Amino acid sequence: MNAFTVSQFIEFVNTALSTAVFPEGVAIEGEVVEYRVSQQKWIWFKLKDESSVVECFATVWQLRTPLEDGMKVRAHGMAKIHPKSGKFSITVERVELVGEGALRRAFELLRKKLEGEGLFDLARKRTIPRFPARIGLIASRESAAYGDFMRILKNRWGGIDIRLADVAVQGRDAIPEIVSAFRWFNANPRSVDVLVLTRGGGSMEDLQAFNSEEVARAVFSSAIPVVVGVGHERDETLADYAADVRASTPTNAAERVVPDRREVEAFLDGAVKGMDASMRAALSGRAHRVESMASRIEAHARHRIDEFRHLLRDFASRFDRFASGVREKVAACESSARLLKTLDPRRPLEKGYALVWGPDGILKDAASVDAGTMLELQLRRGRLGAKVTEKKT
Amino acid sequence: MPKPKAESKEKGLDFGAAYKELENIIEWFEQEDVDLEEGLKKFERGLQLAKGCKERLKEVENRVTEIKAKFGALEDDAAEQEPLL
Repeated sequence: MNAFTVSQFIEFVNTALSTAVFPEGVAIEGEVVEYRVSQQKWIWFKLKDESSVVECFATVWQLRTPLEDGMKVRAHGMAKIHPKSGKFSITVERVELVGEGALRRAFELLRKKLEGEGLFDLARKRTIPRFPARIGLIASRESAAYGDFMRILKNRWGGIDIRLADVAVQGRDAIPEIVSAFRWFNANPRSVDVLVLTRGGGSMEDLQAFNSEEVARAVFSSAIPVVVGVGHERDETLADYAADVRASTPTNAAERVVPDRREVEAFLDGAVKGMDASMRAALSGRAHRVESMASRIEAHARHRIDEFRHLLRDFASRFDRFASGVREKVAACESSARLLKTLDPRRPLEKGYALVWGPDGILKDAASVDAGTMLELQLRRGRLGAKVTEKKT
Repeated sequence: MPKPKAESKEKGLDFGAAYKELENIIEWFEQEDVDLEEGLKKFERGLQLAKGCKERLKEVENRVTEIKAKFGALEDDAAEQEPLL
């Protein structure tokens, strides 16, 4: 028998393992023990059952499933002997969690980790547009969830452009397909207004992709706001937590992403009625104001007119009194003039009487002059000189 | 100004913007003292917006386009190597 060199032997065994023995790789189910991570890059653990143990190795970037000692898993990978150490181990490509306990445990571990990183922070949630015109839908076209979502969407709102990324939502292709759909939409973030990731209900095993770190991170890091509606009412997934809007079901996702046309219609009708009522109120208010202003102006004017009338009356009566006073005065003057006229000393001269002037004025008593005194006679026209010749007593 | 109906046939009425504008108008009308002249302008604009929006509500179908890209090939996950043991 020809002897191998050590290197030849290892190479032979490894080639045989990868081509002849396990051409499609190997899947081994067992309990995780001695799990550890070195240099934040390499993962080491052992799988064991009641009587045996096998070494496992993986890289941190390839194996995203959170593991812990005691978990039951199904590890998929390649069996090989490492040349430098001579150790036989399984290079693990992916791990499926087996049983509800392991799934629940992994969920909790990852939830804590992502929560610690802030992936679920409420402050990071974005609001989605109220009336999205374009929706990016990440779902399986054959699923009931897709049908439910589309039906409710149509019930509520129309005229939307939906771009569908038809992806696997369970099984080994689910994670890479969902993640690459997110990448596809985000490569052109203006292409849609909102992303919806949806899937119907199922067991925790069925929903594994939605509890994976990859999908949770894809949801979180999407530049386009994301609505996630996975499972039934009570199901909760890490993708839900990371979403901007967490819908409880595919139906609820449709309800959250678009408004109901009936409500919008009611608003529009109410808006028209409201504006109409406001305008009417404004108009009647204005009319009322104009009326009250007019009546105020009228009252004011009437008051002024009354005042004026009063003044006028007052003036008229005062003027009347003044005028009658004047008339009385004129009459008095006229009668005085007449009286004066009758009293004029020259009037008797008209009739032939004469005034006799002595040295001391008008002569009234013959005794006041002596014979020989020179007198003057005043006639109606002209004067005469005279001399007293005789005194008769 | 083009009628909203025309807008919706051509480029699609920006429903969100129209709705928001209408909401602002309603809010304006809810203030204490409505100026008649301004109110009349807003009233007309509001009616136009409401009409455009209602027109848009008549669209009942949603269009689905399936993306032809092949999902699942995560190009940048490939180039990882294993450590020396």
